[in-house]
Amino acid sequence: MTADRRASWFKGVLDLLVLASLTDGESYGYEIAKQLGAAGFGQIKGGTLYPVLNRLEEAGLVAAEFRATEKGPGRRYYSLTAAGREVLSEQGELWLAFDGSVRDVLAKAGVK
Amino acid sequence: MSSTNTAGAASAYWDDLGARLRELGLPAGHVRTTVADLAAHLAESGGTAEEEFGPVEEFARELVPGSMGEDPLPAAEGDSRVEVWRWTADTFVDEELLGRFGDEGWEMRRVDGLGRFVCHRDLDRPQRWEYRRELVTRGREGLDERLAPEGWEACGDWVIYAWFKRPRAASLGPAAELSTVPSAPSRRHFLSRRFYALLGLLATALAASGVTVALRDGDAASGLGYVTGLLAGAAVPVAGFLAWRRWRNRRP
Repeated sequence: MTADRRASWFKGVLDLLVLASLTDGESYGYEIAKQLGAAGFGQIKGGTLYPVLNRLEEAGLVAAEFRATEKGPGRRYYSLTAAGREVLSEQGELWLAFDGSVRDVLAKAGVK
Repeated sequence: MSSTNTAGAASAYWDDLGARLRELGLPAGHVRTTVADLAAHLAESGGTAEEEFGPVEEFARELVPGSMGEDPLPAAEGDSRVEVWRWTADTFVDEELLGRFGDEGWEMRRVDGLGRFVCHRDLDRPQRWEYRRELVTRGREGLDERLAPEGWEACGDWVIYAWFKRPRAASLGPAAELSTVPSAPSRRHFLSRRFYALLGLLATALAASGVTVALRDGDAASGLGYVTGLLAGAAVPVAGFLAWRRWRNRRP
């Protein structure tokens, strides 16, 4: 039950987390998954992450560039676009407002 | 599972994924880089492709935006039900087709990363739309402002073109609302005879120049090298232009 609920919350906010993970500069899929995992979201499978990256790219919120590497077959590097920054800022504020409302209600109910 | 078996299973997974992505309409170059990128991910994460990405059929569908059977998909947009249809056409016929589909209630929202027109249609109150296309090779400085007073709104751009839309209601009033609409077209690709003719002409010219050089030098490799050089030479300005666009789009 707890795991299901966390998965559901995570699914709703993953696109925002991916955009946020690119604010310091470009990154690639595995690195983004590692970064979010280290932030406390647990292991993020490629099957969950890449469809989100593709949708963000299609919506013009991230730009992707494939670059060959010295070792291995190459990687797609993602960076935030101006539209992505704007959406992150707008949607991030909405999420924080939502989070604040949830906290207020839980605090009133005595949840600490 | 031995490492040989694991490598074999991964290879089969990538082959299957690549074939499915091509079937879903992803261009061959994009399929190649996608598979390479995912293989690099798996090399770092470890495990099998199936464990990391899930069943190949489902993963392929999720990877291609708009391929999850939602085209056309009624979706909630405010209080309205909306259907979505993605399609593409060459530049010889796109204006004519946009006019036709605009009259059937399709409103273009944007051009997606694959160069497709992403169109919505309000199922409850479908409206007619009209479109115009502008060449923006020298940028679009002042273009939006110039067209805005006439009711034109930017709705997408691709390489050298920008498209603008305007509801027919601006000129027709309530008559622009459609009482009935035809079902969404089953086709998604509209390539004209002129497009195929141009493609054929280019291929013929390329082959002819290669053959001419090969005959002159008496060496087939020379002709092949000439054709390769021509293609590489043509790719340089295109790559430069795309890089410039990418740089411009990334600016905060």
